[in-house]
Amino acid sequence: MVVVRVSHLTKRYGQLTALSDVSFSIRPGEVLGVIGPNGSGKTTLFECLAGVLPADAGTVADEARTLAPGDRCSVLFYLPDAIAPWPAQPVRWALDYTVGFFGGRLDALDDVVARFDLDSILDSPIGALSKGQRKRALLAMSLLTPQPVLLADEPFDGLDLRQTREVADALRAHVAGGRTLVLSIHQIVDAARICDRFVLLSGGCVRGEGTLAELSAMAAVRGAAPHDQSLEEVFLALT
Amino acid sequence: MRLPEKTGTAENAKSAKRNVFSASSARAAVAFLWLLDKEWRELLSSRAWWVLLLLIGPLVGVSFIGVVRTYAEASGLNGTAAGVGEAFSPLVGVWAPTFSACELAAAFLLPFVGIRLVSGDKQSGALKIELQHSMSALARIAAKALVLLAGWCLASAAPLVAVILWKMYGGSAYAPELVTIALGHVLNAGLTIALAAATASLTDHPSTAAILTLSVTVGTWILNFIAAVQGGVWERAAGYTPTAMVAEFQHGLIRLDVVLIAIALISTGLALAALWMRLGVPARRRTSESLALAAGATAVVIACTFATPSWDTSENRMNSFPEADETALASIRASLHIEAHLAPEDPRRVDLERRALSKLRRVLPKTTVQYVSATSIGLFEQSAPHYGEIWYDLGGKREMSRLTTAEGVLETIYALADVKPPIENDAEIFRGHPLAVQPKGAAAVFYSIWPALIVAVGFLVRRRHA
Repeated sequence: MVVVRVSHLTKRYGQLTALSDVSFSIRPGEVLGVIGPNGSGKTTLFECLAGVLPADAGTVADEARTLAPGDRCSVLFYLPDAIAPWPAQPVRWALDYTVGFFGGRLDALDDVVARFDLDSILDSPIGALSKGQRKRALLAMSLLTPQPVLLADEPFDGLDLRQTREVADALRAHVAGGRTLVLSIHQIVDAARICDRFVLLSGGCVRGEGTLAELSAMAAVRGAAPHDQSLEEVFLALT
Repeated sequence: MRLPEKTGTAENAKSAKRNVFSASSARAAVAFLWLLDKEWRELLSSRAWWVLLLLIGPLVGVSFIGVVRTYAEASGLNGTAAGVGEAFSPLVGVWAPTFSACELAAAFLLPFVGIRLVSGDKQSGALKIELQHSMSALARIAAKALVLLAGWCLASAAPLVAVILWKMYGGSAYAPELVTIALGHVLNAGLTIALAAATASLTDHPSTAAILTLSVTVGTWILNFIAAVQGGVWERAAGYTPTAMVAEFQHGLIRLDVVLIAIALISTGLALAALWMRLGVPARRRTSESLALAAGATAVVIACTFATPSWDTSENRMNSFPEADETALASIRASLHIEAHLAPEDPRRVDLERRALSKLRRVLPKTTVQYVSATSIGLFEQSAPHYGEIWYDLGGKREMSRLTTAEGVLETIYALADVKPPIENDAEIFRGHPLAVQPKGAAAVFYSIWPALIVAVGFLVRRRHA
């Protein structure tokens, strides 16, 4: 069963090919990690998927139909990395706005505020938050959106170890509620902690897709058996 | 008995469809209200808007205080005899210069407020988030435009204070004139907002958008300059620049073609902004859509130039001939062609245009005017055989005159048309509203109270939102 199928997605910036024939699928209720080093095309992939950046080729489809870029917001919500939206507005307003504007989950508001420990910063303007605080606030905001699939670009960037674990737990709890998460992560240790399946991206190409065991087997078939079964070793073997 | 059952099912389906439609409309309306709230909050947190509010008070004050003094000096000379009464029209004597501060603010301050509101979302990443709502780009840009217009209306409180002060001094204020001026400045602000939104949406950085916006403004001034020198098609085009448009309203004239063209240009600017706001659409497609939009807008603007109705809202009928003359002119059925041998920069041509022909076109819309000259200033054409001649052709009958006054032009036309000139009605002559008072308290209001109030309110509002 597939909630979103990505087929042959290609994106070029002039002579540079940022994404080349990228295909993979997103299954309902899973945490899918898009793993790759900096510059591997993760952000470009997410922006093309969300329809905020035009792709040169390829399709994105749900179970029933191909989704045009303008229709993808019915299925996907994309949280970009390194943004500070509405910098003068307080966190409390941003959360209310997300619920009101997107028709989001008002019933989840208190839970999200508690899980991301936002009580102390609710009245602070978003522009005045530290990188980690802003990341937590924006992740909380994204969890309130109504789309069944959430794409989060580098959700752990800017968080310390304790915060990373807490956020990972919060995301896991959210998935248990029926949502599907696709996370772009360049820290493989973080990815291994939270993701069910992985898409390995390198140089704009998909080098492998599957669970850790599946990827490990794939590496063995290609004659690049990793030293151990860790995601790091598998990633290095396949890319 | 299956038929009623089927009908019932169809009705249920229709009702369900209606419910789905009304639910989605309600959701869209709620989202739009949230967007309006967000844009309003963003405007309140924008320093550019507070600077606009702060500066518009002193700008209006400088103009108002100056013109009230001049008006008082002229009134003190008891120059209220018939013939100079027009000089004591508050429309020309007070409101036009006072409201011109708004024109300055619209040209140099408002663009930055608009650019900040549109570019801010791009810079902060908010646009990428908001684009993930199915709301149309046009609705998004409309929310910004509405909020910016509301912000402009609040800034217009400064000239409103001037009106209140003038009334307190015992001055006369003719409501239709004030409404006309306000309409002109709202349309001008609309043009600025649309231009700023389009440039901010087209460019990646606010500074590029600001340069582009000011370039367009300067471009319209260059067009006015070329029109003054070259005349012809340039002169016609320059009649629709924001400066020329505001000047018409400041003289109490509402021209349908000007209003329609302003609305068309505002709509085009906002539509262009909406097209380029859609980050997910390939640039090539956005470019071709923009070109199609520009072609459509050009066609609409050209079509609008054929709209001839106009309304003179000035108390002294400064844009119209006396009513008796208008009735007499309206009885002339033959088409009138005028050939004036006057250069674009010749003061006689300016007189002829302002005092007679602009009024004549309002009564006889089918009048055609052709200017003939070999140079732009006419200085070296004075000795040319036909220079200075104005030829009138009415239904095949021709007459030449050198008069550039309204009376001279009317006299020639009546003679050609065999129409008896109407008798001048003394009761119709506008005697003016002289007022010899000093602008007491205006300096305190515009230079102290207004800035202090804006700073205090700005501080409180920003603290409340921060």
